[in-house]
Amino acid sequence: MSRIAVTGTASFLGARVLRRLVELRGGEAIVAVDVAPPPSTLQGVTHRRLDLTEPASDQRLVEIFQQEGVDTVLHMALFTSPQRDKTHAHELESIGSLSVFAAAAAAGVKHLLLRSFTAVYGARGQNPNFLTEDRALQPNLALGWARDKLEAEQHAAAFAKRYPEMAVTVLRTAPLFGPGVHTFYTALFDRRLVPVLMGYDPLVQLLHPDDAVVAFERALDKRPRGAFNVVPRTAIPLLTALHLSGKVTLPVLHPIAYALADGLWALGLGEGPGAFLDYARYLFVADGQRAKRELGFEARYGSREALDAYLRYRHPEGGALEPVEARA
Amino acid sequence: MSSAKVVPIGGPRRRARPSGGSRRRVRDVPESVGAQSRETVGAAEGPLVALARLIQGGAAGLDWEAVARLWSAAYFSWHSEETDEFGFDRKFAERIRPIFEFLYTVWWRVEAAGVENVPASGPGLLVANHSGVLPYDGLMIKIAVRHEHPARRECRMLALDMFALLPFLAPLLSRMGEVRASQENGERLLSNGELVGVFPEGVKGIGKRYKERYKLARFGRGGFVRLALRTGAPIVPCAVVGSEEIHPVLAKADWLGKPFGLPYFPITPTFPLLGPLGLVPAPSKWSIDFAEPIPLDRYGPDAAEDPILVNRLSEEVRGTIQRMIDGRLARRRSIWFG
Repeated sequence: MSRIAVTGTASFLGARVLRRLVELRGGEAIVAVDVAPPPSTLQGVTHRRLDLTEPASDQRLVEIFQQEGVDTVLHMALFTSPQRDKTHAHELESIGSLSVFAAAAAAGVKHLLLRSFTAVYGARGQNPNFLTEDRALQPNLALGWARDKLEAEQHAAAFAKRYPEMAVTVLRTAPLFGPGVHTFYTALFDRRLVPVLMGYDPLVQLLHPDDAVVAFERALDKRPRGAFNVVPRTAIPLLTALHLSGKVTLPVLHPIAYALADGLWALGLGEGPGAFLDYARYLFVADGQRAKRELGFEARYGSREALDAYLRYRHPEGGALEPVEARA
Repeated sequence: MSSAKVVPIGGPRRRARPSGGSRRRVRDVPESVGAQSRETVGAAEGPLVALARLIQGGAAGLDWEAVARLWSAAYFSWHSEETDEFGFDRKFAERIRPIFEFLYTVWWRVEAAGVENVPASGPGLLVANHSGVLPYDGLMIKIAVRHEHPARRECRMLALDMFALLPFLAPLLSRMGEVRASQENGERLLSNGELVGVFPEGVKGIGKRYKERYKLARFGRGGFVRLALRTGAPIVPCAVVGSEEIHPVLAKADWLGKPFGLPYFPITPTFPLLGPLGLVPAPSKWSIDFAEPIPLDRYGPDAAEDPILVNRLSEEVRGTIQRMIDGRLARRRSIWFG
């Protein structure tokens, strides 16, 4: 019997993918590995409680995979938002991923799928307008958030090389935006005054969660090897997105902005460390051609539609945007 | 409009958050609300109307919504809501074009010849000499193609890193349709069938000293030829005369440019002597010549890996442009009147 083990089912995207897999394959085919149990409405799903930051988590994972007859592992236990407890985040994302991959290899798993982020390419001025999968991953290493993801990807690449019989897929998703998404960057869109970097306005990609779920579905069906960008149909300039959401933007000189963001973060305020501002300064738009070719995945939503869906979700009655809407 | 359901603007919101009386006065102006209009949050209302609304509301009208409305109306009066995949914003380009049209027709009185050599459809690579400290020559080539070619094509210039990475200028260029110069970007544009303009001399060309004017610098490492070979796009050599005189560089103080991230710091008769006024370009007489396209599709995309061929073609294009420039210069009687 081929069963799928999903880690990080308590995360937003993990829960969405879990729900979809239960719909498609039935609860019996799924093993949820997380510290928190999956919703009780998902019938038949086996829950194995496991903390990936425990020292012997890899041995427990091997047991789980063997006992449950797992042949596919979907690893989604990664943080979308920066964590104040950097050590814990590192243990979970880098070391935890290593445990998952090692256990998958030891248990003879056939397909390993890692959820990653297009942000791992790093936002740089020298980036081409469209990053392809063979582009070197060069995130800002001062950013623990990105460094941990980079390490998880490097572990995945090493295991793919060492265990050629195991198909390893990495899906790099663009920042999620849409109904139900609550992250450090969507929090900016819930404010009325949004600081922006003076003189910078990069294109950004906002991925609707429905599209992301479809991409995981396809990847589980096709079991391709290698990395794939999962991106929306179109990108949108950051300032256009903010103005479409009816925000008042406050341009800040970037040296000041970096220092301020770092200061606020150190004080326990703010959404994230200053190094995240790179993503509001430079391009990290990824190219979705490879996913289209090899996974048959093409996003149904563009960034604009994802933004609209998010705004409808946040302001179902019109709310903050209502006067702007009245003009149309 | 009259048959549409009429709802006070503040309608649904007032339920959620009761507001003061004076604020309601502004909101009670009936306005038709398009159903499901969230998708078209655009600026149907200009910034002046939004400003008038703000003033009409008085101090009480000065709430976040009113400010946000004014803010976004001002933004969308200059920007469209959609851009292409490289960030090209047609509305913004349309708005800003009159400035460059003035420079083209009045200031530099550009004379364009051979525009018909630019392919009317499909990919094409315009290759031109670069000069004049600031990239006005690229903008003038754009206007020449757009105004004098029957197909009115939009030429996408590949911009040097020094411009494409500069704050303020970077978003401005990408909104105007310019793209940071790189093989990946150029290849993508050409395979989309776009007309692309490049300046293979790069920084070496644009920052030339006045005494080196109209002597073409080395054409990079032939990247533009590889681009054309890979995509099968024909190369159209293009010679710009007049642009060397707009900011005659007498000397260069590169150490001054370093802290600003600039590869050079020009000293001209007016800059930095006159401060910002020194940035006004001299009104020389310009000409832009387009030569017959050089088809490269017979070599095939693999030829891009042949460095000898690439260099030969690169030198051929450079020679053509140099000849066109020399021809123009020989016929030119005056820098100012042509």
